[in-house]
Amino acid sequence: MTAQPASQPAFKEQPLLEVRDFQVELITEAGIVRAVDSVSFSIHRGETVTIIGESGSGKSTTAMGVLRLLPEDLAVLSGTVLIDGVDITADPKAINKVRGKTLALIPQDPMTALSPVHSIGSQLFEAIRISGAASAKDKGALQARAVRLLEQVHIPTPEKQLKKYPHQLSGGMLQRVLIAIALASEPQLLVADEPTSALDVTVQGGILDLLLELQEQRGIGILMITHDLGVARLISDRIHVMKDGAFVESGEVQQIVDHPATEYTRKLLAAVPVLGPWDETPPGSRPTQAASAGSSQALTQTGATHE
Amino acid sequence: MTNYILKRLGQGLLTVFLTVSTVFILIRMAPGDPAVSYAGPLATTEQLDAVREQFGLNKPVLEQYWIFLQQLFTGNLGQSYSFQAPAMVVVAERMPYTLTLATAAILLTAVVAIPLGVWMSRRPDTGREFGVNVLTIAGQSMPDFWTGIMLLTGFAVLIPIFPASGFATWGGLVLPTITIAILQIALISRMVRREMTANFAAPYLTVARSRGVRNSMLTWRYAMGNSAIPVFTALGTRFAAMLNGVVVVEVVFAWPGVGSLIVRALETRDYPLIQATVLLTALLAVGVQLLIDLAYPLLDPRVRLGKAATA
Repeated sequence: MTAQPASQPAFKEQPLLEVRDFQVELITEAGIVRAVDSVSFSIHRGETVTIIGESGSGKSTTAMGVLRLLPEDLAVLSGTVLIDGVDITADPKAINKVRGKTLALIPQDPMTALSPVHSIGSQLFEAIRISGAASAKDKGALQARAVRLLEQVHIPTPEKQLKKYPHQLSGGMLQRVLIAIALASEPQLLVADEPTSALDVTVQGGILDLLLELQEQRGIGILMITHDLGVARLISDRIHVMKDGAFVESGEVQQIVDHPATEYTRKLLAAVPVLGPWDETPPGSRPTQAASAGSSQALTQTGATHE
Repeated sequence: MTNYILKRLGQGLLTVFLTVSTVFILIRMAPGDPAVSYAGPLATTEQLDAVREQFGLNKPVLEQYWIFLQQLFTGNLGQSYSFQAPAMVVVAERMPYTLTLATAAILLTAVVAIPLGVWMSRRPDTGREFGVNVLTIAGQSMPDFWTGIMLLTGFAVLIPIFPASGFATWGGLVLPTITIAILQIALISRMVRREMTANFAAPYLTVARSRGVRNSMLTWRYAMGNSAIPVFTALGTRFAAMLNGVVVVEVVFAWPGVGSLIVRALETRDYPLIQATVLLTALLAVGVQLLIDLAYPLLDPRVRLGKAATA
């Protein structure tokens, strides 16, 4: 159960992200809640590490804590978080050294992640200026760099998209724009907080492919937060299974999927819908049977005993 | 876009027409007799009848309304009883004073309330924020006649730095402006704080923070950029309301605007003057409201592009 498994690859270089005994305590009206309880993990260049867990397990809080994006007055962080060697827990200001430089966030819901009253272009230009790749005065360089970034995330007719506003683009397109904005600073580490959960299933695959492609090209390390085992399986090198703020299981993807050590992981695995042939009893037929039995109690009982 | 403007203009004119018609009926239903006000309490019945005849008040109400409608379309609402001059001219002469006062008050409000609201939103739960919060509640609770009299006593009588009444010098503008602005600042600053707080919690702000956008940019470009629409609307609506005459404040400071004019017109039952005041101020208020609506697309691309897409 500890997060220092023997299977950790023997990298000589310094990890991009090293988290040791990380704790997040949230001050709520009901008292202090330990949302993240002593988690430790690390991510090296070119690696994808996934934290998987159900809603409320603390996986997103871990990611937001690592990025220091939790409200400073409501979240108490302790332990050590080293991002490219910079300790961001000891000094609250240290995070500014890595934000918009080594570190970037791919948010959960692309539809609300961009300011609605500013154009795509102005928000992308701002990220380019922060990265120092082009100055505000050099409009030509800004434009050229923005177009190149949008091309890298496979957005068609980038020049036109720059003039648009967030509400004019689809969720999938917006997520690509957000990835382009994240890439503006040539980051080493991407934190992707459920980057596909707000998107159509048809679009999810495209975004994951894009992340994998960028990782291959640039050797970016990715911290992936998801509740979707399908996503975790496709993209991860290592998985940490999170429950009630702590890791209950950690290891290589295949090992966890094939030999889940805890009941919780087994349930997470079982929660993934399996596609079967139509003549097998489809999941939808259960309520129909229950309804024909003529009792709503029968429905809940069938549901409960099905596990 | 032209269609939209025409539609809004039509709605505005209808609003103005209904307003003046309602006022026409209401003032005739209210107690009081213009003839008595004009001729004085000692006038004989014959004298009163003569006055009524002169003002056309002896005609049936419907006929009076028909005459009023004709006047409305020619833009001449008749002679003011008490000023013995065309009512529209009397009101038009007072309008610049009210416009000056309203403009000064709304500018002061914007200049103080926006930074104050932003400051409060940035420092929640600190002692100073609590102090300012209490002050804004006090500002909301003080009636303007009281604030006005306190300021008069303080800064025109005890420490005579500003004139007590009228608009002879620019100094005369100071106290009435502050009196109006205190309430508006209290209301608008709390609104700015509420909007800013909501925008500080919005996902796009967190995402912008994650990419290293500086705090000042997060505050002004992001949170303020998104708070601007409701705040601008509130300021505009309040400005439009002030054009109807800041009645109490104008009376307290003997400000020669339409607010004090309408009080006098009501006291003397000067029907043409009341109608002219209501017509002009309603026209102005509707005009300002229309300008606010037309300015929306400048602030909100969703409105701008939504229109372009459907037109």
